[in-house]
Amino acid sequence: MMVSEIDMISPETMEECLQILNEYEQEVRLLAGGTDAVVRMKEGHWRPKLWLNIKGLRDLRFICEEKDGIHIGPLTTHTDMVQSSLLQEKADVLVHAAKEVGATQIRNMGTIGGNLGTASPAGDTIPALFVLDAVIELSSVNGIRRIPIEEFFVGPGKTVQHKSEMITNIIIRPQEENEIGIFEKLGPRKAQAISIVNVAISLKMSGDGWQCAGGKIAFGSVAPTVIRARKCEVLLTLQELNEEGISNIASLAWKEVAPISDVRASAAYRRDMSTALLERGLLRLMKRWEDR
Amino acid sequence: MTSKWIGKRVPRLDGPERVTGELKYMTDYHYNNMVWGRVLRPPYPYAKIKSMDTTRAKNLPGVIAVLTHEDIPGFNGFGIVVPDQPVLCEDVVRTTADAVALVAAETEEIAEEALALIDVDYERLDAVTDAEFAITEQAPKLHADGNIHSHVVIKNGEVEKAFQEADIILENTFHSPRQMHAFIETEGGWGILEKDGTLTIQCPGQYAYRDRLQIARALAWNPARIRVISSPVGGAFGGKDEITVQIYLALLALHTGGRPVKIHYKREESVIAGMKRHPFKVKMKTAAKKDGTLLANQVLAIADTGAYASLGGAVISLAIEHSCGPYKIPNVDLEGYCVYTNNGIAGAFRGFGVNQVCMGIETHMDMIAAELGIDPIEIRKKNVYHQGDVSSLGHVVKGSVGTWKTLEAAEKCDLWINREKYKAEISEPWKKRGVSIATSFHGVGMGIGLPDYGAASIQLLPGGRFEVGVGCEEIGGGNGTVYAQVAAEILQCDVTDIVVVQGDTSRTLDGGTVTASRSTYTGGRAVATAAPNMLNLLTKAAGEIFGVSEEQVRVADKKVVVYDADGKADSSLSFAEIYDYLYENRRDTRVEGHFMLPKEKKEIKGSGGAPHRLYGYLTHVVMVEVDTLTGETEVLRVVSIPDAGKVINPQGLEGQAEGGAVMGIGYALYEDTIIENGYHKTTNFSNYILPTVKDSPQIETFPVEELEETGPFGAKGIGEVVMIPIIAATISAIHDAVGVRIKHLPATPERVYAALKARKDQTNQSNEENVM
Ligand SMILES: Cc1cc2nc3c(=O)[nH]c(=O)nc-3n(C[C@H](O)[C@H](O)[C@H](O)COP(=O)(O)OP(=O)(O)OC[C@H]3O[C@@H](n4cnc5c(N)ncnc54)[C@H](O)[C@@H]3O)c2cc1C
Repeated sequence: MMVSEIDMISPETMEECLQILNEYEQEVRLLAGGTDAVVRMKEGHWRPKLWLNIKGLRDLRFICEEKDGIHIGPLTTHTDMVQSSLLQEKADVLVHAAKEVGATQIRNMGTIGGNLGTASPAGDTIPALFVLDAVIELSSVNGIRRIPIEEFFVGPGKTVQHKSEMITNIIIRPQEENEIGIFEKLGPRKAQAISIVNVAISLKMSGDGWQCAGGKIAFGSVAPTVIRARKCEVLLTLQELNEEGISNIASLAWKEVAPISDVRASAAYRRDMSTALLERGLLRLMKRWEDR
Repeated sequence: MTSKWIGKRVPRLDGPERVTGELKYMTDYHYNNMVWGRVLRPPYPYAKIKSMDTTRAKNLPGVIAVLTHEDIPGFNGFGIVVPDQPVLCEDVVRTTADAVALVAAETEEIAEEALALIDVDYERLDAVTDAEFAITEQAPKLHADGNIHSHVVIKNGEVEKAFQEADIILENTFHSPRQMHAFIETEGGWGILEKDGTLTIQCPGQYAYRDRLQIARALAWNPARIRVISSPVGGAFGGKDEITVQIYLALLALHTGGRPVKIHYKREESVIAGMKRHPFKVKMKTAAKKDGTLLANQVLAIADTGAYASLGGAVISLAIEHSCGPYKIPNVDLEGYCVYTNNGIAGAFRGFGVNQVCMGIETHMDMIAAELGIDPIEIRKKNVYHQGDVSSLGHVVKGSVGTWKTLEAAEKCDLWINREKYKAEISEPWKKRGVSIATSFHGVGMGIGLPDYGAASIQLLPGGRFEVGVGCEEIGGGNGTVYAQVAAEILQCDVTDIVVVQGDTSRTLDGGTVTASRSTYTGGRAVATAAPNMLNLLTKAAGEIFGVSEEQVRVADKKVVVYDADGKADSSLSFAEIYDYLYENRRDTRVEGHFMLPKEKKEIKGSGGAPHRLYGYLTHVVMVEVDTLTGETEVLRVVSIPDAGKVINPQGLEGQAEGGAVMGIGYALYEDTIIENGYHKTTNFSNYILPTVKDSPQIETFPVEELEETGPFGAKGIGEVVMIPIIAATISAIHDAVGVRIKHLPATPERVYAALKARKDQTNQSNEENVM
């Protein structure tokens, strides 16, 4: 398939979009910000018969708080998230993650729906969505399904989404009082970098001191999909999060991960870096907690 | 004499159109009846071509021409020094960077499809991918004369004896990366067969006249029938010094019925086909006395030039020439090999071999200083040569030498004086800071054996402005503004009255390359040689007009002034009036200036062209912060102290110093084109890691001016050395911060982390031993 042979339709409404997804027989792919799609088209990996350009669907770009959580439309850009006061207040870890995506131009174009759709194990917003217990809403002409994020990804580039479906909403739990989060990323440089390892952490502190009442940790780029670090999570509450406690928890991180070697880094380095990033993230969080 | 333009912050004359985007890249031009050209690359790094069939490609609708080696009218080869690279391969391919066939088609996509329809039957051969193995007898011979393209040796004194007498000896091996030029505009351009049967090649390059000769050789054409336009944008850094696509464009243009043909590499193709910096393995053994006096240096450098020579021989010669740093070392034994492998192609790149060896000698200087407890600046000051001294190579250095002054300035700069204070200001508890310095030098112009000359023309234009023509291309560096400043200074006019023309064989004289840190020196001096001829032309014409002798006429402040017998200004003429007079009388309005670059008379035996007559010098001070948890290094501050001779345009110098610093940081910390078994693992800018603005430090530039008497207004060249010492300084600063020395560059977070971990394991082990 040559690029010039690919068609593109820009539906006016979500209904029209779902109709097309349902009826179009040949390969069709959604196009949001295009920051992954265009690159992969150029490289020859993604050459569908039809691009369904949804960037104009304004109804899918929102951030608002509802009874069941914070709703984020899939066309919300990374910049939208960075600038949202609601997210800054109740989902700081997602704001941190969105800040680390690419650079300004990419954050202005790239969307959270696209980050999920690409389903890269290195996608930067995904670990944050894991620790905020995100639920992904998939819609088709036949209705809506809601999938917990831990069940959404099947493998690198693969999700449970059917051909006739699209992501129409992402619902996260708002952080509680005394809950603080952080996103740590290790790339080969400071901007425009694909994560070698990343980690999102959200901790509920129990009032004063360094005692943690519970927390969630999710690693990216160290397994076929983003993964939760449950052993480390359990340890969070068993000891004070002082330097020694942090070091103990972090040293366990390598037991949670199963990284590979590639051009970007060796498996051994990735494994050690899951420990390093967890340690750095917890140290920074505790500093923030102390300075609050 | 105070100068009006020299040494002034003259904004770039071509600045506005560059920043607004009005100035177009050549590959962004458009012609209505254009066609697209593409190049077929082999799938293997080393293979025999058994047969080739282009029938299917030729039959594809929309294909205009498919060319192979059989369609080359002249010599099937190119290469600046030896033309060992086939234009289109005939019987063997030696790298995936080779070209096998060319296609011209109505669209880029059809051209691409046609490539897939060219049937080539290959027989794969075992690739030679290790430069040290390539030298051995067992290695398959990639070229008729074997795999050693060049071997240079410089010996002076008695190293073995010196090693016996030394108080301290260091021996280390350094590996350097295959850096990519990463110019903003990839290789590309246009080939147009004109109605009169001549060829026009529009293609950014670094020496239009030589490109023209290489094209002519492949076409078997009189070079005068080829016009090459090679300016003014795109970036090159040495990567467009050799032929890139000019010959392909010329060949295709002969088969498209006069339709302009365009080739423009995608970044992925540029990564594979384009030149790279030579990766080196440098073994160095350095000896000193207790007081820090250097006694001996022994070097073995092996450079991987890939499948073809290009300028590889010159690169290894320059490396060996510079391998002892700007120091006096009485006993040296220096040896270098430039070796063929099947790893892509390496060629010219800013620094030209000096980057790789500077890392060795400067690291050793630092280690010796540390071991002997001498200040790192002191030990360098103690060993540097001065103008008139005998260098390590054994020749008397005649050009100006600013090393000592740059070291003195480094010693007095804020970052160095207050380094302990700045080092203590770590941003987080697990981070550590280090400050270090390094110094280096770089030859200006070609070495011995390559004729080196400059030329410029100046033409008086209607209205009294001047067109200054210089062969040296503008490829983004800003040398055109320098030429205008030199011309305006001597012609006593405004820089805005100067129109600079560069890089066009039909409009400029052959003035050599824009490489080798030479274009300010050479082009500037050429303009300074032509300008007095223009003054003569102006005064002579004015003398005629007024009927007075030439001695009574002088050019001053945008006019030609006639003085009376008492020396008082009598009357004057504008340059526009002179032009009108010359025009009416059908007289010549153009002058030229030519000169030969000064050279050393005697070549150092076996050195392949050393020494140079002129060198530029530079010292860097660098502060880094290392994250001990991850191994990440951030360069926080850089002080760049160049000795460029007279600085003609401080703003231009700062541009070079800042760009060079960032390119050096890229080399030290991030960049490498990875090739495994002859195949590129690095594909594009997603995995070739260039520093971005976020990775760029605060950079200060404090030039010292050690005037060079042969240069225009005392100027030398600085285009390469600006990126060299920073490499060693950054790596030493990492050592200062966390105590590990990285000898295999780039010092990626993973390598720094591994070194920290190894050291930790070692201390743990020795602690255990102590306990037991
Ligand atoms: C230079 C550069 C730097 C980058 N840096 C980073 C980085 O640091 N971190 C990072 O995580 N990513 C990075 N990316 C990748 C990319 O920018 C992000 O993944 C971005 O969020 C993708 O969003 P998009 O809107 O551009 O997606 P698109 O490219 O438009 O689409 C991506 C995929 O998602 C699917 N999709 C889009 N919308 C939906 C939907 N509503 N429902 C279902 N599927 C959908 C598309 O069909 C497609 O398969 C970078 C990309 C580039 C080019």
